[in-house]
Amino acid sequence: MTGFEAISANDGWAIALLGVSIVFSGLVSLSLIISQLPKVLQLLEKSKEIFQKEKFVISDNYSEQPGCNKIQDDLDINEVIRNFKMLTSWIGEPFPLPKLLTTAQQRGLVRPHSTINTLLKSGYIIPDGKGYFNWNNN
Amino acid sequence: MENILDLLAKFWSNTGFALADYRYIIMIIVGIIFIYLGIAKHYEPLLLIPIGFGILIGNIPVFKGLGLAIYEDNSVLHYLYFGVTSGIYPPLIFLGIGAMTDFSTMLARPLLMLLGAAAQAGVFITFLGALALGFAPNEAASIGIIGGADGPTAIFLSAKLAPKLIGPIAIAAYSYMALVPVIQPPIMRLLTSREERLIRMEEPREVSKKEKIIFPIVGFLLCCFLAPAALPLLGLLFFGNLLKECIVAERLAETARNSIIDTTTILLGITVGASTQGDVFLTGKSIGIFMLGAFSFAIATASGLIFAKIINLFLKVKINPLLGAAGVSAVPDSARVVQMVGQDEDPSNFLLMHAMAPNVSGVIGSAIAAGVLWSFVL
Repeated sequence: MTGFEAISANDGWAIALLGVSIVFSGLVSLSLIISQLPKVLQLLEKSKEIFQKEKFVISDNYSEQPGCNKIQDDLDINEVIRNFKMLTSWIGEPFPLPKLLTTAQQRGLVRPHSTINTLLKSGYIIPDGKGYFNWNNN
Repeated sequence: MENILDLLAKFWSNTGFALADYRYIIMIIVGIIFIYLGIAKHYEPLLLIPIGFGILIGNIPVFKGLGLAIYEDNSVLHYLYFGVTSGIYPPLIFLGIGAMTDFSTMLARPLLMLLGAAAQAGVFITFLGALALGFAPNEAASIGIIGGADGPTAIFLSAKLAPKLIGPIAIAAYSYMALVPVIQPPIMRLLTSREERLIRMEEPREVSKKEKIIFPIVGFLLCCFLAPAALPLLGLLFFGNLLKECIVAERLAETARNSIIDTTTILLGITVGASTQGDVFLTGKSIGIFMLGAFSFAIATASGLIFAKIINLFLKVKINPLLGAAGVSAVPDSARVVQMVGQDEDPSNFLLMHAMAPNVSGVIGSAIAAGVLWSFVL
């Protein structure tokens, strides 16, 4: 059996139509979820911020409390340090900065150049005097 | 003297020279061509060289019963081929692909995923074409998946549905994947205007690390709940990607995208090549499969392009419709072809990273299509 007869006899039309629809629905659903993901993450970040700020509310001027933003900044910097320490554990200490930068870029870390710059200026990463760098354990 | 001559005659009768016929010679020539294309022309060398040499191995005429040929139960090649027939190698390759794929361009612009979905129409249209040519549904499904332009997926589905066709389907799939730079550009120029090819894409947004970590988990759950038959392929693909993105398992990701994928590629290539013995491969069915394979690539390319043009009717900021051709999941060749065709019109138009979005979504789409076809024709 060949031709359209063969297609109809084997439910070909139904399989093709349903198949395309299912593949499409799957990828459409996935794209919708992905498109909402940044908003959901932003919402979670905001809730975390509010929760952290509420822990330090003791007066009407809570937003001027130096501790609030510092805690949030500390959480952010802690995550950054954690990510970069994972990279350096793979590279080894002392590590060359160009390799750390390249590795961070390859692993898809956001803005690695300015982040490493910040870590250097803040004293989290210190030179060992021989062209390599270490984490400041103090 | 007579004993020596008898022994010589017996020895000669067991050599390949005595056992060869024209079909083996043809396949050996095909194998040499594959090796030439891989080495001299750099057409997918990591695939064509193992497959080409495998073809040479599989087409050395041997005396049956000595446990040498790939289809003999106790031969080394048969044991290695088990990874193909049981569907072990393709998911391991997908593990490595996941560990080396950057989904950030797709996450930055999820709309482009739909181009990967549209290109899978080639799979189902080819399925219809195979049915029309008289192939059984399980064979037609295995042939149709060639249109997904995904070698491991094609081999995986063929192993499950039509093991006897693994050889021609794999050869057709990988040959056409290597010929993507030849097949796609004429179709792309035919279906798009110069103005459309000149469209520049907006810079994609930055994608956070958290998104890149959450995506493989969400993607895996959604796709496998929808098409559980795609579990081996998509499970390993998303797992490999999670290993890459989470950073904490970097050494596992490194192993997946180097040692594991390289070893599996070697074994898969050589055994698939060896399975294409002349007496099994050179049949009318194989010619039909090759014709349908070319048809499936053309239809998949056209579907992606046409869908991109349809999407543009509803968008204020148009996308370059050439990106539709990258929905054919020959990663990263079809994305490179998009870049090349785009730059033929405007050398300063860089479309490669944008084209990677439909390209990688096509990998997911073809795996879902394979799962769907498998569940329909079981």
